Amino acid sequence: MTNEVKERNWEPKIVAFVCNWCTYVGADAAGTSRMQYAPNVRIIRFPCTGRIDPLFIIRAFQHGVDGVIVSGCHPGDCHYVSGNLLARRRWIVFRKFMDFLGLDLRRLHFAWVSATEGAKWAQLVNEIVEEVRQAGPAPTWAMPTDGATKIEAPLPEIGLPPSPPPELTLQIRELARQLLGTGEVGVVVGYEKATGAREGAATPTFVNKPEDADRLIFNEHCVHNLAVYLTNPLVKKFGKVGIVAKGCDIRSIVGLIQENQIKREDVSIIGVVCNGVVVNGRLADKCVACPVKVPHIYDHLVGDPSSVQATTSGHPLDAQIAYLESLSPEERWNYWMPQFARCIRCYACRAVCPLCYCQPCIAEKHRPQWIPTSPHPQGNLAWNIVRAWHLAGRCVGCGECTRVCPVGIRLDLLNRKLAIEVERAFDYRPGFDPSAPTPLSTHRPDDKADFIR
Amino acid sequence: MLRKRLTSENLNKWVDSLIASGLRVVAPVREGGLTLFRPITSSTQIAADYTKTDLPFKEWLFPPTEVILHYRIVDGEPVLEDPEVDATKTVALFLRPCDAAAIPILDSVFGGDYEDEFYTTRRRNLTVVGLSCTEPQPECFCTAVGLSPTSEMGSDILLTPVGDEFLVEVLTEKGEQLVNQQPDLFADAGNLTKEQVTEQAIAKMMRKESLPTFADTYADLFEHPIWEEIARKCLGCGICAYSCPTCHCYDIVDEATLFEGVRCRNWDCCGFALFTLHASGHNPRPTQAHRYRQRVLHKFAYFLQTYGQNMCVGCGRCVIKCPVGMDIYEVVRKIVQACERVGV
Amino acid sequence: MVTVTATGMAMPRETVKVSRNIYKPYLMTIVDMRDETHDTRTLRLQFKDPEVAKTFDWKPGQFAQYSVFGVGECVFTIANSPTRKGYIECTFRQVGKVTSALRDMEVGQTIGFRGPYGNWFPVEEWEGKRLYFVGGGIGTVALRGVMQYCLDNRKLYDEILILNAARTVADLVYKSEMDEWARVDGVTLVKAVDPGGETPDWDGKVGLAPNVFEELKPTPENAILVTCGPPIMIRFMLLAAERLGFKPEQVYTTLENRMKCGLGKCGRCNVGPYYVCKDGPVFTAAQLAKLPKDF
Repeated sequence: MTNEVKERNWEPKIVAFVCNWCTYVGADAAGTSRMQYAPNVRIIRFPCTGRIDPLFIIRAFQHGVDGVIVSGCHPGDCHYVSGNLLARRRWIVFRKFMDFLGLDLRRLHFAWVSATEGAKWAQLVNEIVEEVRQAGPAPTWAMPTDGATKIEAPLPEIGLPPSPPPELTLQIRELARQLLGTGEVGVVVGYEKATGAREGAATPTFVNKPEDADRLIFNEHCVHNLAVYLTNPLVKKFGKVGIVAKGCDIRSIVGLIQENQIKREDVSIIGVVCNGVVVNGRLADKCVACPVKVPHIYDHLVGDPSSVQATTSGHPLDAQIAYLESLSPEERWNYWMPQFARCIRCYACRAVCPLCYCQPCIAEKHRPQWIPTSPHPQGNLAWNIVRAWHLAGRCVGCGECTRVCPVGIRLDLLNRKLAIEVERAFDYRPGFDPSAPTPLSTHRPDDKADFIR
Repeated sequence: MLRKRLTSENLNKWVDSLIASGLRVVAPVREGGLTLFRPITSSTQIAADYTKTDLPFKEWLFPPTEVILHYRIVDGEPVLEDPEVDATKTVALFLRPCDAAAIPILDSVFGGDYEDEFYTTRRRNLTVVGLSCTEPQPECFCTAVGLSPTSEMGSDILLTPVGDEFLVEVLTEKGEQLVNQQPDLFADAGNLTKEQVTEQAIAKMMRKESLPTFADTYADLFEHPIWEEIARKCLGCGICAYSCPTCHCYDIVDEATLFEGVRCRNWDCCGFALFTLHASGHNPRPTQAHRYRQRVLHKFAYFLQTYGQNMCVGCGRCVIKCPVGMDIYEVVRKIVQACERVGV
Repeated sequence: MVTVTATGMAMPRETVKVSRNIYKPYLMTIVDMRDETHDTRTLRLQFKDPEVAKTFDWKPGQFAQYSVFGVGECVFTIANSPTRKGYIECTFRQVGKVTSALRDMEVGQTIGFRGPYGNWFPVEEWEGKRLYFVGGGIGTVALRGVMQYCLDNRKLYDEILILNAARTVADLVYKSEMDEWARVDGVTLVKAVDPGGETPDWDGKVGLAPNVFEELKPTPENAILVTCGPPIMIRFMLLAAERLGFKPEQVYTTLENRMKCGLGKCGRCNVGPYYVCKDGPVFTAAQLAKLPKDF
């Protein structure tokens, strides 16, 4: 404990989010039994831990609390049967995520405390207050820190992908002509050559007449995830949509189907065999270990599956994630805070993501204003955490958000970290099975969460 | 106008002397993979091979977020407090002519009948040292909007590289004061001119053709179906507005606890879906086509009608940063072509 | 406490306090309130600063930004005429965040007020003319200030007809004041509700406002028509006015749009090149016809 802390007589301020039926009663029982325990905890009562959105935990820290406890009924005892089991899934991933951002885990605790466990509650609070006291006052979310941590683990040298053969372009054009000509689709969403200042690049295009099909191309510059247009009203108005899609894009389409945003029969997938795209002058990181170079779901396949270069390495971002994980939480905080402080809230990350389709977005809701709209460090941190968290178990790693961010925030690291944790905990990778439940909307009795006291 | 010449070495000496004199000198700096205008403590920190910054200079006159009112609750009553505004004497170094020309455009908006002191205080304390362009980029189109790679508009001093030295055009009193801090570093310009440099730079520009404006014709273009075709791929993010040196739309929001609060002014973008949404649920611009049309017409019609100049300086940042490659130069030409086809 | 620093900028070395903060509201006390309908309330406000109370002036048709500190601001017309000084009135419908917070406030509490903004009804040009005021639902609120002005300057104007219309009787605003208007010499008051909106004891007209207006056989010679209401009502009123022979320069309305600064800078409320907050909110039908369909 620093002298400053002693002088200010600082006492940890801790908020507990508890469920009404178990922990709240347990805490009450501790009181009526006249158990003495630390007074630092303010309790907020919820009907069920299933209702506790990690957003509340974020808001608590944003408003300056030093520690958070989340507690509810034991698995199997939930008043609403499975609310706490869904909560458990969330906590497993969320806790790892907050650790990755640099939150000292001495500040975040989860417990099962039943209505008869007043003594457990009292002991728990005493222990947690001491842990938070050891951790000291929480770093304020309002000001960026001095001096940024750097990642001393450069991305590997990757070079360029091979150019797809011109046959792919011709096949796509022919398919588009057919699909539009027979009226099977009302529009084909694909890529065309960019003109003007972006010569050499590709750009999204919408072809709704067969005679315009020759606009379509496919090459290594076709980076955009066109699945984002499947929920766009100006595109949907044409009826069934044909879409030129790489494997990563198709994984997003699977996500949209899983979440009932589109029906499988409303889209005709022109799957394209892809050896990778170019971002910032080199092969995109996502392509290095891509598992879907040959599309896994499609209505029409374009390209030769045997032309695919085998994947020989792991994901290039994993070394950088491992590096960050080797640092102390404070050093990680000093990496992420300056990153988020740069955010100007252009929401390009949201606009370009096919799975950010909520209308309104949580950031647009103002009764209450969950996420401050102002681009100050506090508001930016809240936005960036929530954006990444809302994509946990859903993001397919297409990398578009990172490509488009005008201030270069490493969103790809956040997304990849969450994907790793979801896969590790639930053996789930998004974007493969359209009929699978999304990982955070389901649960298994054997979900492992040893950190819950 | 005073005309001087300056060697590269003396330029650095001058910059360092300005820093030493206590001025806050803001220049293009490499930071975290981006080139941004940041304060420097030495001329060596200026980004080498600098073409254009990633974010425009406007954040120094009109920050992304700014407190415009404080209040506290005292005995149950709000007590209002005016905030303090940055009044540091600042030198902005090496703004390209497009970026410099954006400043008078913002002056028109934030001055006028209701003087926005949050802007004008910063503006008053700012001296702009522009740097002419010799290497226009593919996205640049300043000449299409009535400027040039060596335009003087908005600069207090304009430096133009001629050979291995700089022509120094001292355009305002503020500029003179700055030069007079170290008058011995500057020699008389003699017959040094920027004509040849200008010609050569213009010749290198890929998009020279003048862009039409719509101040008189926007009403005819307004309902044309081409807007939907153009705007279909627009995703409605805020990158174009936020990377634009002249875009100035803003939001006003309160952030408060029970005991005190602030009213903030934040950058906003007409491309966002909720920008014009009424509380009743009515939205005058319900689709991206409506919203993109607003962007183009605001820049090439409405602003022109109200303030007498285009609200675009041709820097091209929106073009290179747009996630889907919307190109406003191409868009304007496409609209005019489409309208001509139907005799509008 | 939220501390706000501009992203990436060095802390300033020198600061000054703003001398005339265009965003700083006057403080006003709520001195009275009255519910017009189940969701519409009128507030009577007084400036806390006696100097401001003495000198504040405005013209009929202008609006202001009303603040609930900590929640936000929103725009309402100044609902009383400058001939009735000593207080400011606003009438608003509870429909969003700020209006809900405003409706939670009580007499004696303080709100903010920034204004007056916008242009105004050119009441001098109307002298000697016959005046028709047609308000639909909450649109009548926008007309109240200018109506009061004309009633208070009664001798300057020829006959006055006021049509206060709404969907149902419950939605009619200013029910308690309408009789006061009717009592003024040479003023005809007509109240109307949409078909199906009448109560058993309803003694007014039944019909859509534009139809009721036409049936009253208004004469366009030397007349002015001022109308405000939901967009669809304004549209049909303008058509009716044309059919009746009103020239577009004789017809006035007031527009609304989402606003933030209220003073022509923030770029939000424009209809084409015109800012509703600066070049409006009062527009003639002639001006409206030239505006792009951007509202």
